[in-house]
Amino acid sequence: MADFIKNVKGFFNKIGSAIKKFFWDIRRRINNVKRRIGNFLDKHNLNFASKFPGWAKALIYLSPALIVLAIFTFYPIINSFALVVYQNYNMTNDTITGYTIFGNFLTVITDDSFIVPASHTGSSAVINTLIIVFISVPISVLLALFIAAALNSIKPLKNFFQTIYFLPYVTNTIAIGLVFAYMFKAEGGLVNQFLSLFGMNTENLSWVESGAVFWRSMFVLIFYSIWSSLAFKIMVFLTSIQGIDKQYYQAAAIDATPRNRIFSKITVPLISPMIFYILVTSVIGAFKIYNAIVALFGVSGQPAGVDYNLQSIVMYIYKFIDGSNAGNLSVAAAGSLILFAIILVLTLVQMQVSKKRVHY
Amino acid sequence: MELRLENLTKIFTNKTGIETTAVDKLDITIESRTLVGLLGPSGCGKSTTLFMIAGLVKPTGGKIFFGEDDVTKLAPEKRGIGLVFQNYALYPHMTVYQNILFPLENMDVPRDEAVQRVKDMANLVGIGNLLDRKPSQLSGGQQQRVAIARALVKKPKVLLLDEPLSNLDARLRLQMREEIKRIQREIGITTIFVTHDQEEAMSISDKMVVLDFGKEQQYDAPQVMYNNPDNLFVAKFLGNPPINTFEAEIKKGYLTINDKKFMKFDIPDGLYDIGMRPENFRVAEEGGFEVDIHNIFHIGRDTMIHFDFNGKNVRALVDSDDIVHDQKKVKLTIKSERIYIFDKETGQVINHG
Amino acid sequence: MDKNLFLKSNKIEKITLVFDFLALAFYIFAFFALFNMLALPEVVDGHMQLDTLQFMLPIYNLLNVTFDKYAMNTMITLDMLFMLVATPMLVTNIKKLKNRTIYEIDSYTASAKFIQGIINLFSLNIVSGVLRIINMFVLVKFVKGYNAKEFFKSIFPAIKAKFKQWTTKKEKIDESKLDEYSISIKKSIRRQTAVSAIRISFTYIFLIVMALIIIIPFYWMVLTSLKDFSGSTSTNPAFFLNISQMNWVNYKVVLTEMNFGLYIKNTVIVAIFSTLGTVITTILAAYAFARIEFKGREVLFSILIMTMMIPGELYIITNFITVSKNGFGWVGMPTGENSYFVAMIIPFITSISYIFFLRQNFKQIPESLYKAARVDGCSDFKYLMRVMVPIASPTIFTITILNIFSSWNAYIWPRIITGVGGLEGQQYWLISNALRDTAFVLDNGRVMYNLQIAASALVTVPLLIVFFMFRKYIMNGIGRSGTKG
Repeated sequence: MADFIKNVKGFFNKIGSAIKKFFWDIRRRINNVKRRIGNFLDKHNLNFASKFPGWAKALIYLSPALIVLAIFTFYPIINSFALVVYQNYNMTNDTITGYTIFGNFLTVITDDSFIVPASHTGSSAVINTLIIVFISVPISVLLALFIAAALNSIKPLKNFFQTIYFLPYVTNTIAIGLVFAYMFKAEGGLVNQFLSLFGMNTENLSWVESGAVFWRSMFVLIFYSIWSSLAFKIMVFLTSIQGIDKQYYQAAAIDATPRNRIFSKITVPLISPMIFYILVTSVIGAFKIYNAIVALFGVSGQPAGVDYNLQSIVMYIYKFIDGSNAGNLSVAAAGSLILFAIILVLTLVQMQVSKKRVHY
Repeated sequence: MELRLENLTKIFTNKTGIETTAVDKLDITIESRTLVGLLGPSGCGKSTTLFMIAGLVKPTGGKIFFGEDDVTKLAPEKRGIGLVFQNYALYPHMTVYQNILFPLENMDVPRDEAVQRVKDMANLVGIGNLLDRKPSQLSGGQQQRVAIARALVKKPKVLLLDEPLSNLDARLRLQMREEIKRIQREIGITTIFVTHDQEEAMSISDKMVVLDFGKEQQYDAPQVMYNNPDNLFVAKFLGNPPINTFEAEIKKGYLTINDKKFMKFDIPDGLYDIGMRPENFRVAEEGGFEVDIHNIFHIGRDTMIHFDFNGKNVRALVDSDDIVHDQKKVKLTIKSERIYIFDKETGQVINHG
Repeated sequence: MDKNLFLKSNKIEKITLVFDFLALAFYIFAFFALFNMLALPEVVDGHMQLDTLQFMLPIYNLLNVTFDKYAMNTMITLDMLFMLVATPMLVTNIKKLKNRTIYEIDSYTASAKFIQGIINLFSLNIVSGVLRIINMFVLVKFVKGYNAKEFFKSIFPAIKAKFKQWTTKKEKIDESKLDEYSISIKKSIRRQTAVSAIRISFTYIFLIVMALIIIIPFYWMVLTSLKDFSGSTSTNPAFFLNISQMNWVNYKVVLTEMNFGLYIKNTVIVAIFSTLGTVITTILAAYAFARIEFKGREVLFSILIMTMMIPGELYIITNFITVSKNGFGWVGMPTGENSYFVAMIIPFITSISYIFFLRQNFKQIPESLYKAARVDGCSDFKYLMRVMVPIASPTIFTITILNIFSSWNAYIWPRIITGVGGLEGQQYWLISNALRDTAFVLDNGRVMYNLQIAASALVTVPLLIVFFMFRKYIMNGIGRSGTKG
């Protein structure tokens, strides 16, 4: 029996080395050919590759990425500036009726669902987005910080909790959004069931369906947004907290520092670059919220039969491409540029503020 | 393979246009099958020279010859050299076996022969039983052996080592430098290595090149250079404890120390730098030059005494039996060929060949 | 330590693993067979009669044994459980077998074997169960030196001894004899312990509450996906389901009638090709920026970094024009002339943030390795493939995972692309589009939540499985990618 196994193993080894020998010989042959070509070129002084090594090589390596980037990243940036000055760009015929410098921007800004809400809708894309950003980002960052600190302080079950907290990251936004919408169902939804345990009257308490009040549906949206964004933040914070040199804590312990001071005066400042980075990226990400709204409320961005709209800036823009206002790409371009400007300003402001508080 | 450097020069220009000469007209012939050390303080240009020989740095002027071939413009991979880096540069994700096999993959060698060469080389350097380990699982000395094996498996014409022993601890250094010498002898390959440790260089080199600010100071066998330094720099660089140097006048043909006549020299009168090695002093049984001892250190087999020559502190290493521990004066002698007289301006030695 | 016993135990373990593997294969096969047998409602006018789904009472016949819908549900559920338990057990056992040394065997290993043996017996894997229990006795002999009979004899006294240990009172130190200082130290130690005990329990309570909030949607999702229509729409939904009430047929409906098999396939195709393309272009470009010296390298790189700040929405507008008939003509053409996959994959085949991330990693590889390879005659490309890529493989793996996740979550771009294609475009929906735009309604307009949530579960679970397989690498990679930013 042992002999048989030995024979089988020997057989596989022989195959293995035959394969390796095969590749070796191929490589050797290719190398020889390359060498001969190289010598030939050298002799006749034709070896251009050695004369411009840097540029030529770099070009070959960069070309796949650069070509794709040029067509689908650089060109669109320039083209957006062009689109923005077109008037009534018709995609099917590729025609325009004229040029306008600020016309499209004005259309966006004066649109009553963008910045200044009309009296009957009571909300606008910009206001919605601002609400989402300024409520969900601080809450999720703080929550993630506390959870990361808590995780860092326990030993048993740490991996177990880490795995659980990471689950929302690996999910599909729309799929779980549907589940959330189902959980917040007025009739028989899990949330209403839970609330009725506390004696609340949940009859006809609508969260995402018809009859939902603005703040209730906004609550669901914010809740979902925080829920799905926690995982990444917790992971990053945990990694950075774990990277803090233990000696700082030991020094503080010798000085009898109470735990909350350790947290606020040592842990937080030492990971402040990371907190800053997460804040900036979270703000930018929250400004671009879209999938979550579609998941909960559909492409229209509102629960059935209400007169307000929960659309975000991005949703507003997309409606000009694909939704209710389809075909008006110039206005969409104008909206995108406005969005870019807002994000840029906010980022710069954050960077200014960080100069005082972030310690590198 | 004889290696010849002809007026090799390297000048670095930084962004603001300031030029630094790293290597200045180095002209040396290294005989075949010898182990030569490039020695000098930090920044003297020894690593730059090594990399120019390797082809990784292009010289600003001069030529490099491998045997009869001018390889100055040749790419590194075509020169047939083996290079061992200071931090060994082993591929961390490959096993020792794969690391040593790697250079052969680019050469025209059949696989069976390549595998055999790897095994032979591994056995030669003493790591034949570690072929399946990854570099992170090896000690410093073992990693270095792998690096040497990888450099030699190509059967190069020249072996270059960049500060091979500086990353090892003291005890390992002793062992590894003997290993390097043994391997070099066994294969018989022309080898150049760079170091700032003069003891290391002196112990294993056949010949040494001492460099200072890119200029060659002397090129000789170690013991020759030790006993017959060409200039003050070489004299001061070699030797531990270092050579004693002080100013002295030659008055009327006599070397004058502490206002007394010390020894007769056939040299024109004037002010000179004098060098005397501590170990060359002997306690005189009769006659001799008397000095006031102001410090005695007993160090096991030797005793170090401190005294003044012309106001400068001088050390002498003498036999412990010749000195009593609270002795205040002693009479010393030193052979005349062990006194080095250097010209004050050029630093060149005057009274030696 | 008797080495022979150790080797014997390993041999038994190897045979047990073979049977484990066979059992797992059987579970998988049985699952497919049973799933295939599940009965779907009949199709009338090309339209499945979903309202009858709940009330169907099919009778299944396998090897001359008949069983009804409930038995079928129970069998599939049990099969799922077995698979869920057997797979990680098999994987960890294989890993342990390779790595275990003779010094690591202790009584815990023996008891672990026992527990696994019991699990095997419950999973109907009789052979493995018996083998494992035999193995346990071998290990017991190895560790403690006695064989089966003596082992049983020793259980009872051992329990008695442990019990006694717990109940003996600890000696009380006479406190009156201590001086004030010691007493105060003791008090403060006691207080400290109490405080830290409270702190730890609050921490755990906090973590548990948060964990519950995170995990309840998942539980609710799986639960609802297995309910029937009235169960999912009732005003008082159930929190648990009986094993026989788990309607696995929901998944079959979603896969076939609602075409989710097609949509998942589309998403997988897009994910694979997009990731392949991204990895290739990113490796090449990062190498160029990290190792190749060329004029303008830093300038070009800074330009790229600046474009990272620009929101993706801006690109989508123009890219839409570019890929439609005024540009490349991949979409928006008459039916049959469209290349939807090309339009979905190519525009996003390169990501500047990945290039940045990988370039950082490449730069950390010491340059002396490159010089050593140059001296050995290694070309740039070979160095990239044989040295840099293997060393940077954790980062490349992270990039792959991130890219797969973003393909899985893509919504707006596929929607725009397939939206212009009408019915033809619908065939190219990705899962996010399908989830949102498929109408899970009955003829009377009521929403079939159980099917909708089953579709969500179908879409979520594969990624969860991938996650659990590569959990360590994924979490480490994401954490590191964030800190490098």
